[in-house]
Amino acid sequence: MTIDTNGPTRRRLLQAGAAIGGATLASGKVWAQAKAAPVKVLDFQTYADMAKVEQEGQFVFYCHENEAGTAAIVSAFTKDFPKIKGSYVRAQTGALYSKVLAERSAGRFDVDVIQLSDLAPAVDFQRKGGYEIYHSPEAGAYKPHYLSNPPGAYFWTGVDFTGICYSTDRVKESEAPKNWKDLLDPRWRGSMSCKIAASGLQFVQWYELRKLYGDAYWKEFAKQQPHAFDSRVQLMDRLARGDDKITAVGEYAAYVLYKKKGAKIAWVAPPDGLPATPLIVGAVSKAPHPETAKLFVDWAMSLRGQKFYQDNPNLIYGSVRDDAPPMVTGAKLSDFKLLAPTDINDYLASHGAFNKQWSAMLGL
Amino acid sequence: MSDTAIARQSMPRVSAQAIAGMVVAAIVGVLVLYPIFFLLQAALDVGDPDVRPPTAYGLDNFAALGRYTGILMNTLLVSAAATAMAIVFGFVTAWILTRTNVPFRRTLEQLMAVPYYVTPLLGAFAWSLLGAPQSGFINQFWRALGGHGVLLNMITPFGIAWVMALFEGSVAFFMIGAVMKSMDPSLEEASQVLGASRLRTMLFVTLPLVAPGVLGATIYVFAEMLGSFTAALVLGLPNRFYVVTTAIYVLISQYPPRLPLAAAMGVSLFVVMFAMMLVYRRLVTSRSFVTVTGKAFRPRRMDMGGLRWMLFGACALYVLLSVVLPFATLIFSSLQRIAVAFPTAANWTLANYRGAMQMNAVRSALANSLLLGIATASIGTLLVALLCWLVYRSRLPGRGLIEHVAMFPQAVPRLVFAFGMMWAWLIIPLPIYGTIWLLLIAYLTVFLPLGMRTISGVMLQLDKTLEESAQMCGAPWIYRLRTVTVPLLRPGLLACWLLLFIASVRELGASILLMGPHSKVITPAIVESWFATSAELTAAMALIQTAVVAVAMGIFVMLTRQAAGPGVE
Amino acid sequence: MAFWNTSAEQPLELQSASIEVQDLEIRYGDVPAVRGISFTVQPGEQLTLLGPSGCGKTTTLRALAGLERPSGGTIRIGGHVMYSREHGIDIPAERRGLSMVFQSYAIWPHMTVFDNVAYGLRVRRRPRAEIDTRVRAALDLVQMGAFAGRRASQLSGGQQQRVALARACAFSPQILLFDEPLSNLDAKLRADMRIELRELQHRLGVTSVYVTHDLEEALAMSDRIVVMRDGIIEQSGTPTEIYAHPRNAFVADFVGSSNLVRGKLRPELARDGLVALETASGEVVYGDPCGRSPGADPTLSIRTVHLQFSAERPQATVNAWPVTVRRCVFQGDFTQIYVSWGGRDLVIRSAALEPVSEGQSAWISADPRRCVLLEGAIATAGDDFTVAPRHSPR
Repeated sequence: MTIDTNGPTRRRLLQAGAAIGGATLASGKVWAQAKAAPVKVLDFQTYADMAKVEQEGQFVFYCHENEAGTAAIVSAFTKDFPKIKGSYVRAQTGALYSKVLAERSAGRFDVDVIQLSDLAPAVDFQRKGGYEIYHSPEAGAYKPHYLSNPPGAYFWTGVDFTGICYSTDRVKESEAPKNWKDLLDPRWRGSMSCKIAASGLQFVQWYELRKLYGDAYWKEFAKQQPHAFDSRVQLMDRLARGDDKITAVGEYAAYVLYKKKGAKIAWVAPPDGLPATPLIVGAVSKAPHPETAKLFVDWAMSLRGQKFYQDNPNLIYGSVRDDAPPMVTGAKLSDFKLLAPTDINDYLASHGAFNKQWSAMLGL
Repeated sequence: MSDTAIARQSMPRVSAQAIAGMVVAAIVGVLVLYPIFFLLQAALDVGDPDVRPPTAYGLDNFAALGRYTGILMNTLLVSAAATAMAIVFGFVTAWILTRTNVPFRRTLEQLMAVPYYVTPLLGAFAWSLLGAPQSGFINQFWRALGGHGVLLNMITPFGIAWVMALFEGSVAFFMIGAVMKSMDPSLEEASQVLGASRLRTMLFVTLPLVAPGVLGATIYVFAEMLGSFTAALVLGLPNRFYVVTTAIYVLISQYPPRLPLAAAMGVSLFVVMFAMMLVYRRLVTSRSFVTVTGKAFRPRRMDMGGLRWMLFGACALYVLLSVVLPFATLIFSSLQRIAVAFPTAANWTLANYRGAMQMNAVRSALANSLLLGIATASIGTLLVALLCWLVYRSRLPGRGLIEHVAMFPQAVPRLVFAFGMMWAWLIIPLPIYGTIWLLLIAYLTVFLPLGMRTISGVMLQLDKTLEESAQMCGAPWIYRLRTVTVPLLRPGLLACWLLLFIASVRELGASILLMGPHSKVITPAIVESWFATSAELTAAMALIQTAVVAVAMGIFVMLTRQAAGPGVE
Repeated sequence: MAFWNTSAEQPLELQSASIEVQDLEIRYGDVPAVRGISFTVQPGEQLTLLGPSGCGKTTTLRALAGLERPSGGTIRIGGHVMYSREHGIDIPAERRGLSMVFQSYAIWPHMTVFDNVAYGLRVRRRPRAEIDTRVRAALDLVQMGAFAGRRASQLSGGQQQRVALARACAFSPQILLFDEPLSNLDAKLRADMRIELRELQHRLGVTSVYVTHDLEEALAMSDRIVVMRDGIIEQSGTPTEIYAHPRNAFVADFVGSSNLVRGKLRPELARDGLVALETASGEVVYGDPCGRSPGADPTLSIRTVHLQFSAERPQATVNAWPVTVRRCVFQGDFTQIYVSWGGRDLVIRSAALEPVSEGQSAWISADPRRCVLLEGAIATAGDDFTVAPRHSPR
């Protein structure tokens, strides 16, 4: 699926949507009308039973974001609903998903809502019946392909995309990479970073660039002996301090955050395209606090929640909501040439190969 | 009254001692052996890894290890290097503090315990900040002084070994120091009377006498290094340098996780460590150089003349490198936006501390850690005291076996043990998994050997006749325990409590796999922070943790000193 | 492994306090420490187990106390069976109602002197007032009354010794066991304490079993002595009996020092109830047979203090010989003189005034009643001191 809201690729979008969605194109509103009337809470609609929410009083959130980001999401939610006590577990998408599966296989259901940074495990989880099917009243503000198929399992709470980032201290502008192929230059050997295999964004990047340039690209990339890390914070920290010269996963959001902090870094948007991954949020089935889970989904989907996701300096997601304002930098998602997987089954199927290649590159 | 009449009159029954003994033994057996079973099961699983219980068993996973010989070699190399350095630190400082007239000896002795209380995690962070090739402070200084390139690169196997050695050095110091203190000085005096020089005496008399003790300490430290996790995690992972423990951790955290392979690695590490521990025990029990017999010699101290200040400097240097420098580095970093060696005025900030205090990880994790520490120490000390009494003072059959089972976790790397526990408790219908109870069980189990070593030393030192005379006064078992044994063991029990408390708070390998959303504890939380937030924030978190733990310990020490009353020696 | 009989909740209060030991055997693993001994102690008597280290005396004492588990035999105290292998009875130490003074005193450093002594009474849940009285009485008995409030860790060795004694007596046991209680004291203190202990025992009328390797202690303090070696009883009897009529070479030389004279029996020279032995070098020695048969290797024991040493020929008609002085060692209370006699050395302890010089010619004599015939030995090659093991009490 591609990710523009406007612009020349909209046709592709609709085609993709039609290919996947079929009869459910305009189904969001239909499904919503089948239930009882939604309640207005703060400034958004929810089907959650607020009395029960108060009774439950707790909220458990599993998220792939770094600590600061995850903490920010939970505290924003609990600030809006002070009667809820929030707690979270944070791990990179791969590790997080393994953990949830392991727990569920043992009959433990401790999670209310899970946020993943990769479509592949989300689809897999949906197929396993891991998501609670809930049709939020806010779902009408989203195009169908930003929801799950069939809808109700999850939605795209935002989009995270990456270009190339480099340290202006250590890299002169003239030497700086301009496109993805420039990353293969031997001068970056040993001083480049990327993300670990568990990262959803890394998987997307691998998939998309392989599509663009073929298998040979990543074989050459492995020769660069990159350092792999868990989170954007580490990548940016190292750039800021000069531990690395460049990073292959220079997330736009991370760049914005660090630029504000005063780091001496620069960002490049390669003309061939910017790999992007959706950030998937969904309520988990058999959750210990089901009404609170529903409330959170509605909150996240609402304009209020989306503004939060976009504006919070630790997140800076691009929203895919119809009426979302521009991002904090003034840019909109449509301003960028984003690359995202269209054939979801092929994407899922190639995960094994990605894992193997990436692990081998990193020595395991 | 005839004999047979008496025999008929009284009914044979199993003593309370035997019952208590069997219950305790059973508990310990389950705690220790149950996770090992699961570990082995996972290692031998060659069927579909997602299906439990395993569908097929085989040795394929071990065969697959052949591809990872690099990792095994890394582990051995790093452990050997760390052991060598730790033994050198320990030996030299032990020598200086027990055999020479170095000034401020008592202060230095107390300072030597501090590296043990500082976690290797803090050391790893600090040295990573100091010794990173580009951004490390040391290298920045070097370049500022006009040097080129990199003076010291700590993000290397050497860095890992260095950090490990700095912190294990204090353990080596205590072990070797104990051996040196127990040496009869008249053996050296005899040599000198016969005309040998000081050097000759040292080489031909002292060293051979001390050698078995040093060898024992070496083997023990090596086994510990094999299972160590923290330094390799912080300093090795970024450079794709794996040792077995970090490899296991990465394999488990992948998606999909490669559990059978991880289990096979865990089992092979366990086998090696077990063998080392067997050697160590053989060495310790065969030679009677082991010290605690209550007969303390007064070691003769050599007068080193002016050299003593240099020796003082050497000890002080060790303390500096292992404690002062890391803390200073962390404080320095935590106060900056982006940590550099020469910060501008704008770089100073308290935002990191503010951020750290707000974080869930700090508040709830700290509370959890303290609670868990207190629980582990209290329950653990009780359990271990009971165990030691049963093993060393009762006439229970099979008490030797109890000792072996209790000391067994020593041979298992803590991360590997936690891995076994993860699976063991996941399938039990009790709602323990992911809660703090699981952590408590894990800590109690892996710290049994530590507690046993502490208390058994004190208990063996206790003259048997002190308890026998209570028996002869008519006191039954529990009364004796309460009025004579426990009060006399009190210093040992307190030391054990403190040790268990510290070990519990600083534990990483066992807790990183078993933490759940409601059971965050501080050390893994700090590591998570290191990987997912900035170094400055992490430094602030780590310092807050250290301060709180230090205060807690201070309170405890004060309380116990008061409770013991004045006039107790 | 039988379930041992552990009857009774409270320590036993015994009416009669005699001790009977039958065929007691104690093994440490494969090593036998005590090999089937039997003896009795009458109520109020002090029996001493005497012997060199490793002979099994302490082990036996601890078995009486209940601190060691024997491998065979029976122990009865006050008529009650405390241990019986046959019946599977083994009453634990805390219920036997005995009391013991340890070699290391075993005073509890974390309690005061008062608390130490009161311990046994507190275990028996005596009322406060009674405890107070009895503790003070016990402390007075050992002249430690002034130290009641002192911390036990602040006492000297001798003081701890007394407190240990007070503690052992405080709850009026019927039997007191002593495990070499004086061996850690210096010689002067030891001598004084010996007498005190003896007086105390008499005053309390308590049955005592005392273990020591010190001959003087045993002789001074005991009503009867049991001499042990290597896990068996060599001889038992009153101090005078054991001293004057040792049964075999071991006892002869262990209880005081002795010269052993072997020879062939000359029955035709026997007279006045004495026997005559002719040594290999032709000397004829007369001795007291003590109602014993000489056996295959007749040996006489002559104590070193019973040989008279004189410069001139003595009056005696028998047992007088000329000798040459070989060596002289001054020992304070006596001088030890080595003389050559009949191809070997004899040792004499003499308190005589005249100086003795080496090479001097002199005369020695011995009263035949002081030359004691040892019990018949079963001769085995090479061993002068082999005696037939016997364990029947005297």
